[in-house]
Parts: sequence; C-alpha cells; structure tokens
Amino acid sequence: MEIKRISEGVSLAFHKTERFKTSVVSVSLICPLDEKSSERALLCYLLSRTSRSYPDIISMNRRLASLYGAVISPNVQKIGESQVLTLSLVMVDDRFSLDKKAISEEGVRLLMDCIFSPDITPDGFKEENVEREKRLLIERIESEKDEKRIYALNRMVEEMCKDESYGIHKYGNKEKIASLSGKDVFAEWKKILTTSPVQINAVGSFDMDKIESITSSYFDRLQRKRADIIEIRTEFLTESYDSKTVRETQKVKQGKLVIGMRAGMTFDFDNYPAIRLMTAIFGGGTFSKLFMNVREKMSLCYYCAARLVASKGLITVESGVETENAEKALTAIRNELDEVRKGNFTDETLENAKKSLIDTFNSVEDSVIGIDSFMTSQCLSGTFRTPGEYAELLENVSREEIIIAANMVTEDTVYILESEKEDNE
Amino acid sequence: MKEKLIKNDLLKEEYYEIDHDSGLKIFVMEKPDYNGAYALFGTKYGSVDTCFKLKNDENYTTVPEGIAHFLEHKLFESEELDAFERFAVTGANANAYTSFDRTCYLFQCSGEFEKNLEILLDFVKAPYFTEETVQKEQGIIGQEIRMYQDSPDWQVLFNLLRGMYSKNPVRIDIAGTIESIAEINAELLYSCYNTFYNLSNMALAVAGNVKKETVLSIVDRVIKKEEPVEFQQIIPEEPKEIAESYIEETLGVDMPKFALGFKETHTEPVRTAMETLVMNLALDIIAGKVSPLYSKMLSDGLINTSFGKEYFTGRGFAAPMFMGESNSPEKVKEEILKEIDRIRTEGIRDEDFEVSLKKLYGAEVFAYNDVDDLANNLIDAYFNNHSLFDTIELYKEIKKEDVEKTISDSFREEYCCLSVIR
Repeated sequence: MEIKRISEGVSLAFHKTERFKTSVVSVSLICPLDEKSSERALLCYLLSRTSRSYPDIISMNRRLASLYGAVISPNVQKIGESQVLTLSLVMVDDRFSLDKKAISEEGVRLLMDCIFSPDITPDGFKEENVEREKRLLIERIESEKDEKRIYALNRMVEEMCKDESYGIHKYGNKEKIASLSGKDVFAEWKKILTTSPVQINAVGSFDMDKIESITSSYFDRLQRKRADIIEIRTEFLTESYDSKTVRETQKVKQGKLVIGMRAGMTFDFDNYPAIRLMTAIFGGGTFSKLFMNVREKMSLCYYCAARLVASKGLITVESGVETENAEKALTAIRNELDEVRKGNFTDETLENAKKSLIDTFNSVEDSVIGIDSFMTSQCLSGTFRTPGEYAELLENVSREEIIIAANMVTEDTVYILESEKEDNE
Repeated sequence: MKEKLIKNDLLKEEYYEIDHDSGLKIFVMEKPDYNGAYALFGTKYGSVDTCFKLKNDENYTTVPEGIAHFLEHKLFESEELDAFERFAVTGANANAYTSFDRTCYLFQCSGEFEKNLEILLDFVKAPYFTEETVQKEQGIIGQEIRMYQDSPDWQVLFNLLRGMYSKNPVRIDIAGTIESIAEINAELLYSCYNTFYNLSNMALAVAGNVKKETVLSIVDRVIKKEEPVEFQQIIPEEPKEIAESYIEETLGVDMPKFALGFKETHTEPVRTAMETLVMNLALDIIAGKVSPLYSKMLSDGLINTSFGKEYFTGRGFAAPMFMGESNSPEKVKEEILKEIDRIRTEGIRDEDFEVSLKKLYGAEVFAYNDVDDLANNLIDAYFNNHSLFDTIELYKEIKKEDVEKTISDSFREEYCCLSVIR
C-alpha cells in the first residue's frame, strides 16, 4: 500500500495489483456521528444516484452499464464514533473490456462527478430527488427493523451507548430525515466537502498517476484549508458503570439475546492483539467456548457468537434462543467468560484461535473488497499495518496477556427480545 | 485417470478437469498469485430428493422433510474428533450448505492446504450417526428453523414456492419443520448417505494457490475407489398450473415484502448455459436497473432499492422472479405485466439489448475474482451439465430474438404468483 496526501486532509491509498479482473476506487468522507447524521446519510445516497451530466436514474445507470456493468454504490458506516460516507466504483479492469478501452479513467471521472458535480439548482438539491431519497432511506430503516437479529443488536447498542455519540444510528433517525429539504442537504454537502477528512482507495492494475491527477483535480478547486479540517475522536469507556437489562416483547418465533460489554480498551489499538484473541477464544468461531458449549453441548441455539468492535472498545455477544431459555443461555455465556478470565482454556484452543485469526488476515489480500475495506480501516485508525504484521502480532500474544485482557472486560447491557405467547401454538 | 486442461483466451484463465480412478470428478484451478485456496466437495443431493430407492431395493423410501440439511449437520460429527475440531487445528474456515438440489462441504485457508483437504475428504466420506447425536442436533436445527420463520425475506420466497408448486418438493423448506425433523433417525440418515454420497454423484472443486498434483496426491491417498451406485427416484408430477395466484402472510413487518414468480415448464430437468443467459437478459431488459420500468417504479414510489430479479432454477424447477419491498405489491405486479406486454408487441430496442448485454458481461467477469466464487461456479456448471467457460463465450453469439422469444413464452400471467408478507 502506498499513501499520498493529495490535498489538505485528503489521502489517496494505492494497491496496485493484476491479481483481479476488477478494480475498485472508493471515496470516503469521514464525519462525526452527531445531530447532522440524518442529513449526511441522505446525502450519501443522493450523490450516488445521479450527477449533473446524468441527471436521472436511467441515464446514470445506462452510462454505468456501458462501462461494462460498472457499479457505483453508496455505503454509510459507523466506525467508532465516525459516520463514514463512501461511494465506491467497482468495474471490470481495463484488460478485460471487450474493445480493450481504458474505461477506468472514465469511471473515476463519473464517480468524482457524482460527489462534486451533483444535479443542483442555486437553491440546493432538487426537491423531487430529495423526496425520493428520503422515502428510500426511511424504507431502508424500516426494513432493517424487520430483520430481528440486526434490530436486537441495534437496540442493545442504542441502550448501552445512550449518553455517547455511538448510540446514534448510522442513518440518523426517521423523523429527522422526513423533515429535511434540498436546502438542508445542500448546506451539509458544502460543509463536509471542505471540512471532512477524505480517504480515497484505489485497487487495481490501472495507471496510478492518472488516478491521482484525476482525483486531485477535483479537490484543487475546493481550496481546503488545514484549519478547517475537523478531527474526530472516539470516546472509550474502559469499564461499565451501570449494568442494566432491557426487555422487549414482540410477535416473533425466536427470541434474541444480545449482551454488550466494555472491552477495557482506551483506544482502538490499545491491547488489540490480546483482546481480539480473547474474543475469539470466548466466542469467535467453531473452536470457541460459546460454540462448543452453548450451541454444541447445551443445544440451546443455532448461533451464539462474540465479536470485538475495536473502533469503540466493545464486545457484543449475539444469540437466537427460545424465550424460556434466555436466562439459561445468559448464565452459560457469563460462565464461559469467567472460564476465560480464570485461564480455563487449553493451549490447543489458544493455538486454534491464533491460527484462525492469522488465516483471516492472510486472506485479506485475496479479494478486492477485502483490500479496500482493510485500507480504509487502517487509514481511519492511523495504524497502517499490513495484514502480515497483524498476523505476527497475534502470533506473539501470550496466555497471560489474554487472561489480563479478559479480566478487563465488564458486562454493560443485556438486551432480551422476548416472543409474545401465541395461542395458536 | 483422464485429465483435460480447459482454457479461455478472453479471460486468460484455465483449469483442469479430471476423472479420477476412484470415480470422483475433480476440478482444479491453479491461481498461484493468490495467498489462499478454497475447496468444495459436493453431492447432487438436496431438499428436493425426498423419495428414492437403490436400484436393487424393492421399495421406495420417503424421507422426512429437511433430512438432507440434517445430514449435512451430522456429517461434521465422528466417533473421535468432529470435523470442526480437526479444522480448528489448521486455522481453516470450514463450513457447509444445503440447497434445493445439492449439499456442499467447504473450507477456505491460507496455509496447510494439504492437511485441510485431507480432513475435508475424510470427514465427508466417514459418516457416523447415533440416536443420541441425532437428538442433540434436533435442538440446534430447531432454532435454525425458528430463526428463518422470523425472516421475512425467507418466508416470502417459500410462500411463493408453495403458491407456484403443488407437488414438486421445491415447495418444502430446506431445513424442514420442527415436526418433520423429529422423525429423523440414524437409520434414515444412513439410507440417504448410502444413496447419494457415492463418488459417482459427487464432485470436488479447488481454486487458489495450489497445484493440481498436490490435490491429486491427496485424493489418491484418502479416497478409495467406489463402484457407482444406481438409484431411482420418484419425482411427483407437477402440473403446469400454479397452485395459487396470490398468497399473503402477516408477520407484522414495517416494510411489506413481495416476490413475484412465473412458473415455467421444461422437459429437461436443468437449464442450459444459453437458456440461463437468455433468461437473465430478459429479466434485466424487463426490470433491471437500466430499464425504463425500474426508473418509473422507483420515481413513482412503488419500489425501493431492495428490488431485484433472479432466475430461480435448479434440478426440476425453473421460474424467473422479481422481489423487493413495496406498499403496493399488486400495483408492482400490474406494472411488470404491462411492461412484458409492451415488449411482447413492440419487441426489444437494439439499444436496450446492447446495454443489458454489456452490463451482464461485466458481471460475468466479476465472478472470476475470488477463489470461493471460482470453486462454486466450477461445481455449479458441472452439476448443471455444462462447463465453466460456456457462458462467457455465449456473449458473442446471443441474439436479441432469443430474448424476445423467452419474454413471449415464459412470462405468462396465468402462470404467475404473487407472494406478500405484511
């Protein structure tokens, strides 16, 4: 990976490779999670759909199709307490176009036009487009609520991080979105173009100098100033201060149990290798304690897994269980964590966890998407390590470090979605 | 042993197709510039295979719904270490899946490929079921079934299948029901295993940083020669007609879901590469992102960006489908039927054909990126009686008229069913 600063707060990361048949260029604007998150989520979708040169959906989609089915996709993510707005372009690598044309440059211009030259009037974004995207985003939020696994996880985070920015949903909220106008979004667009840090990734076989000159020409027009670029810091609570249990009832066949824990980290790379391994031993794969005991031995659930959210110092445990078994599962999960704290795991399990994570890092560079998101996460946290370096760090973690890491974990919020008793069953 | 190297100049790709002496079909795509590798060991046996007998048996066995999937879970177990524990030692990421017409076991790894392949071949060829372990699995799979019952996307599809098909077992849930899996026992599992897990019904596909010779030496060592097993199946005769034209279920969702399917009738059980490509083009021209209809429905507030289309097809069933979320699914159906009628009378414009063709060509090339896609596509092509590079070559010869004919023949209102979840 090669990183260049192409403008104030704008970095361009290259990964040149001929391994793949497709190439990716992604542009991410890094924003804080705050009261303007609804505007920005809406903006991200709005920008991805049309541009001044291709002002309606069909003309934009046909332009993309003519570039051998290139795709520009919007993505709004919450990474730590940042709201990351990404537009990515995935397209067939120049070597495989039927007429051998260098389509990548045209593709990158199209992507940059979406962000910098949207279809606007002097008053702001066109109301008809804004209204369409408002509807689409609100429906996306509603649809997400219908998937109970995601719903339960979001509810747990919302409860756990009530007093932190992290408690804000990545799309903001429905009511706010419904109230927005073309003017509101326009104001936010102008602001973030000059104040947000920007991360551009390019993975493929193309001429990197060309990509650099195209992308930087767009930023040159903006005259970004160093003093204007915002800095985002994520708040890390190292331990839980008030543990609580939240219960809700819905008409569902299967209940959900989600536990939120504070991992004891003070920043995203703090004791990362140890806590990542500890999470894997606890519930990160088929060799883990949660899989082997709560699923395989006790037969309580189909899935029961722990995940580390290093960007915020959290560990989440998710499971789908019958409501009458929720307490039993909760006790079992707590017991398994206690076992790790006491060091009751075999050397073999530790080796297995290491091998599994190292294998995952070694596979990052086998997919375009894997490289792209790894680059973004590295640039966001400012760590800039290669997958190989991660593998090495994991390899050197000792049993003691894992036990120390486990003992710094504190349980914070338990969220239980219970199924309403039905008469017809 | 017979061995062929199959090349494609357009994609600059090649793979080996091997008929191993044991009776196993093997595909190897060497990708030396990747770090890892992916292997898939599959059998042509899925949820639709519900009634069968070995050639010399007297009577047919009808098995409980969901048994192929149950068998997939149970095969991971053995008398000593189960397969997950064995893979844990190598760090590989192992898994399996059961679909309507196949069951596949797989792993992805960046190291210790040889050991991983040995484990994969060994555990799939070493069944071990007891009444006790069968019972334990009923709890786990019971929760998997429950989870899917709460998934609106899953339910809208299976309701559609029940609406379209009255006899074909594609209408039953892949995992079965809590009641049907309660009937599963070790004896039934062995009977399914002995019928469908014969090497002549299976294939191995490997893609990634491996050598063909390495794969073969492991197969030589682990896999014993098997005489082909012949079996017969009773496939219920499915009427041409659909069972219902409209099915609705209430799950209390905030965003209603719909799936619209057009039931097709074919004499051959699987679709050719050409038929599949023609249908995918038809779907794209009718309502793909480049179509006037898609833009219109999006602007009119009828659909959102979850809208999609798919040629739902496998052994013994075929139906083009449109699915998504809408507050007025009936209106979506009406608009789609109107557009089909329009194309039927006016034909496809050259420009529309070209734009969809280019788009699908791009998507086809995309599929040659990741080792997991490559291995899956190798097996998929083989189980559907064609080979991997067939589709990419067809882009040169496909005609607009073929697509027009499919739109005329396959999208008939009388064979169309709408499923809605509210």
